[in-house]
Amino acid sequence: MEIINNFGLDPLLLGAQIVNFLIIFFILKRFAYKPVLDILKKREDSIKEGLRQAEEGKKILDEALEEEKKMLKDSQKRAEKIITDARNHAIELAKGTEENAKRQVENMITAAREQIMQEARESEKGVAIKVSELAVDFLQKSMQDVFGEKEQEEMMEVAIGKIKKIGLT
Amino acid sequence: MFSFRSEAIFYLGDFRITNTIIDTLLVDAIIIIASFMLVKSIRIIPGLYQNTVEMVIQTFYEMTESVAQEKAAKIFPYFMSFFIFILLANWSGLLPGVNSIGFFEKGKLIPLLRSPTSDLNTTLGLALVSVAATHILSIRTVGFKDYLSRFFSFNPMNLFIGALEIISEITKVISLSFRLFGNIFAGEVVLLTVSSIFAFLFPLPFLLLEVVVGLVQALVFSMLTMAFMAILTIPHHDVSENANKAKHLL
Repeated sequence: MEIINNFGLDPLLLGAQIVNFLIIFFILKRFAYKPVLDILKKREDSIKEGLRQAEEGKKILDEALEEEKKMLKDSQKRAEKIITDARNHAIELAKGTEENAKRQVENMITAAREQIMQEARESEKGVAIKVSELAVDFLQKSMQDVFGEKEQEEMMEVAIGKIKKIGLT
Repeated sequence: MFSFRSEAIFYLGDFRITNTIIDTLLVDAIIIIASFMLVKSIRIIPGLYQNTVEMVIQTFYEMTESVAQEKAAKIFPYFMSFFIFILLANWSGLLPGVNSIGFFEKGKLIPLLRSPTSDLNTTLGLALVSVAATHILSIRTVGFKDYLSRFFSFNPMNLFIGALEIISEITKVISLSFRLFGNIFAGEVVLLTVSSIFAFLFPLPFLLLEVVVGLVQALVFSMLTMAFMAILTIPHHDVSENANKAKHLL
């Protein structure tokens, strides 16, 4: 008891210090550790989530890039095919147009030739008729003074017959 | 000269309001204000104050985890609270005016403030809380039957060990309280003596030494509490099994 008295032990003070520490303990636990540990956990979770999302985003980006590459390749192939088809089609079209033009020109030339021939034939016919008329006229005038009327008619008939034979009328 | 007994400043009925009680209230005020400031300013993106507190708490939590593993969440609040309270109580004795401002009574200086841990009532109270919390935590974690099996057994050898365990639990209280009280009380005596010899510059190295002693003693008390809690929350049969394994290996 002497020692306890010397150290100043007082049950009331001891109890007060115990209660005081318990109050401080609960205040710290409630208002310091819990919110800080919660926020640390929350931050850790959000960092983990962010990293996971970044990883996922990177994966999606890689997939999209891969897809883009594939699509570009496909498009290039398709474009090349379209260009080749167009070229072939254009060549075919050009060929067709050329042949068509050639045919048309040939037709035109043939038609023009036929027309020229027709015109030539008609000219020849006209010239022949004119020549026949001139010949008949010339013969009439030449025979007028030399032969009688009857002879003239016979001669004229023979001459017209001959002219007809050679096809001048 | 310095006395072991804390000095009464005034009385509230039968209750002595001593200088250590007033200093304890000052420490309490600092802790409460700091806690409320933290709660008020807590954000997901921390400021300087929150960052510092988070760094300290995380460091101590990881320290607890390295010793107590999955029981860290239960033990950490005790470990941290003992550390904060004892550290501030120890350092409060180094503030200018503490132990030196007061009034004279019968030719003796009665300081208005005195470090709480230089009073055995405080250190004994802390030690009792530490040991009681350790045992409550032990019962909650391993169960009452397992807890009792640590101290009582039908095997005479284990019964003897159990008796030793009971003695060790009592000595825990004595060693925890007197270690802290002795170190801080001795430090204050040294500071007072050195200051009374030469008040300028000469006490500075001793003040720095006391800063370190205050920190070390706070760590020693809180880490011992943590270690005791970690040991007592391991089921007793696991300890026996581990001991048998160790014997087998030897």
